[in-house]
Parts: sequence; C-alpha cells; structure tokens
Amino acid sequence: MSHTDPEILALRALGEQAGSAQDAAHTAQCADCQRELERLSGVVELARGDGPVQLEQPPAPVWDRIAAAIDADTAQPGVAAAATANGSGPAHLNHDGNPPSAGRPPHPPSTGPGRTPRARRRRSRGKLAVAVAGVAAGLVIGIGATVAITELARPSASPAVAEVALRPLPQYPQWRGAAGTAVLRETPSAQQLAVSVTAPRRVGFYEVWLLGRNGTSMISLGDLDAAKNGTFTLPAGVDLSFYSRIDVSLQPFNGSTLHSSTSVVRGSLPSSAAGAAGG
Amino acid sequence: MDVPSDEDVSAAFAKGDPDALRLLYQRFGSLVYSLARRSLAAAADAEDVTQQVFVSAWRGRDTFDPERGSLAGWLVAITRNRITDAMRARRRDDRVLATMAAGAPSEDPAVPSDQVVNRVVLADELSRLPEAQRLVMTLAFYSDLTHEQIAEVLQIPLGTVKSHIRRGLQRLRSRLEADRVAH
Repeated sequence: MSHTDPEILALRALGEQAGSAQDAAHTAQCADCQRELERLSGVVELARGDGPVQLEQPPAPVWDRIAAAIDADTAQPGVAAAATANGSGPAHLNHDGNPPSAGRPPHPPSTGPGRTPRARRRRSRGKLAVAVAGVAAGLVIGIGATVAITELARPSASPAVAEVALRPLPQYPQWRGAAGTAVLRETPSAQQLAVSVTAPRRVGFYEVWLLGRNGTSMISLGDLDAAKNGTFTLPAGVDLSFYSRIDVSLQPFNGSTLHSSTSVVRGSLPSSAAGAAGG
Repeated sequence: MDVPSDEDVSAAFAKGDPDALRLLYQRFGSLVYSLARRSLAAAADAEDVTQQVFVSAWRGRDTFDPERGSLAGWLVAITRNRITDAMRARRRDDRVLATMAAGAPSEDPAVPSDQVVNRVVLADELSRLPEAQRLVMTLAFYSDLTHEQIAEVLQIPLGTVKSHIRRGLQRLRSRLEADRVAH
C-alpha cells in the first residue's frame, strides 16, 4: 500500500480530520507516516504555543552602537585583522545605519526634530497581521454576534453618537480575556472618541488606532493611560465611513511609531456614525 | 524588498562585503533581538546582547563556514552563547543582592530555553514566507478555520491552500532542523 498523501498528513498535523478511514488506518500502522506526522505535529504545536510570537525590532540606538564599535575597529589598525581582501576594512557606517551607498536604514528614527505624531499616520509594515485581522473581522461580522452597537441620544452637552463594544480577535487567544468600549461623541468643535479597555497587565503600552477599510491605512489616535482609558479628538474631516474600525494595540517600548501588529481588541463604528459625524 | 534574501546576505557576508553587516542586521536584527528579549527579563540586557552578537559576528566572520550550516543557525548559536553569558552575569548580581538581603538565590536556569529559541526561529521563518502562503499558514495555525474555510475566506483554490500548508510546514521544519544542527 502506498504511503499517506503528504498533504493529508500536513492537514492531520494541524488537527483536521483529513483523508479517508483507510488513510488513517495506514498512518497508524506505518512507521514512516507516523514519524512524519509526529514531526509535522511538533512544528504545529511549537508554532501555536500560546499564540503567535511577535518579532520585535531592536530599538534604533542598538544599530548606532554596533556601527560605532565597528568604526572603532577600523580606527585601530591592530583590531582590523578582519579587513577585507582589498584592504578597505569593514564598512564605514554612518549613524543612521546607512553606509555611503544607497539603502534603507533598518529603522526609522524613533524621534527627531520635525517629527510629529502625524508622522505615524502612514505605515507599511505589518500588512499581514492587518490583512489577517481584516479577514477575521469580516468573519466575525459575518457571524453577526460580536459587534454590539447602541445608538444613544442623551441630552448631554456632547451627545454620544455611537457606542461600540471592542472585542479581542479570535486568532490572538492570549487576549481572550480583553474587552473594551469606544464612545463617539460630538462636541460643537470636534468629534471625540472615549476608549476604555480591560486587558491583562503586559509590558508596553496600549495605543488606539482607526483602521481603514482597505486593511492597510491607519491613523494613530494616541495612547491609553495607566487605567487603560483615553479620550481622543479625531482629526477634523476624517472619513469615518472609511476609517470605520477602532483598534487597540499593545506597543513595546522600542521607539517604533508603527503599529506593533499586536491587536488587543477591535470594534467597528456603525455606518450611521459616519453620517452623524459629517453633519 | 525591505529585507534582503538569506542568500544575498550569506554571500555578501562570506566575501566580507562592506554592506554585509548592515544587510545582516536588517535581515536578522529582529530575530536576534526577539530571542534575547524573550530570554532576558531586562530590555537593556537584550539590547546589549544584540549589539554584542552583531559585533562579534562581524569580527569573527572568518569563522563562518557555509558548508557547516546556515548563517541564521550560526547567528542563533552566537546569540544563545551571549544570552547565556548575560543570564549568568545577571544571576551573579542576583546572588549578591540575595546575600545582602539574606533571601533565597535565584533558581532560574542560566541557559535560554530551546522552546523559546525554536518559537522565535519559527516566527522568523513564517515572516519570510511569500505573502499568500504566510496568510494561509497564519490562518491555519491561529484561527479555528479548516483548510476548506481558508480557501473560501481567501477565495483561492483548495489545492493551493493544501499545497501552501504542506510546503509551509515542511519549510518551517527544515529551518528548525537547520538552525538546530548549527549549534
């Protein structure tokens, strides 16, 4: 009898009931197929663990220190034993991490003159996480149970336009216990979003974002305080029918202004909020 | 591409190319730092280890032999050693403090855990998969979707999903084995 189809073994390693009863019987008694299944299952188990591992970028000063150490080598002939064949020695690197030739620095500078919070409004990294989260969010909305929206019309000075429940994404099981609310209010001069989150205490800080419907555009609103609350003024003229999702991320203290790709909770503004906000 | 390919980095590094260290850092900076960050309690220690790994990799680049293993595996081995050194140094500090406070000395093992190393290496390899395959693997691992549901959600053929999953798992396994061999 031939061995079990490798695709079936791969799916079984993921925990799916793939293949026929015959396949299962063969796998159970064939040492080769059994070993292959165990190896693949080991990879799956390791990858799943307690959720995805987020790779962290080292803070920008680390590169500066490396470049400085290497530059110091070239300045001392005794240490430059590892010089290249043409005698030029290790690269001379400026402190943005760029050698004189072209190339992108490994990091954007974390802070610097002229850098404003608005600079974080463009991003290009973490497309996968956002795309995946987008897919997941689509499913969630498809199931139709998790986005609780309450239209409110309190006779207060700044009426709430909408109240949105924020929920963890299913693919991040480590945030299963997290939750939150976002209340959109209209004041005479601005729209304000009050966000409140309950989540486990972790190293880092919580940051609030508006996500575009294309799954890649983002606007950073700001950081939550130690009690995980915050009230943010939305940029005037923002299109909430496009920037309709609210995301709270856990950000490491690494100086990066980009979304960490660690989404803690999310929720979607109702389409009526965009209409109300425009008026 | 923001991140250079492993082949480019390895070739440039073996030649002592002036750009090689920058390429090495762009490609493996997050791997080395994430390993250190997950093994060491203090972020400052992780930064120090990252710096030491790249500086000693550059100074010792003559000792890298592509015949004996991958560049990633070689770097992971250097990182493990540096993490071990940092853990021991930290433990000495703790002992001193414990003696002063008459408390119990720390019982933490002074080596990085294989589980931590392997999980970070896997995450690194996952991040290197082509976008479509990475999306499939991420959903296969971290959502409760079956491969049929993944095909439906992503609107790609079932056969493509199955082949991404099979090849993806094989590739992840090969990477783990390559990095394991090298230390």
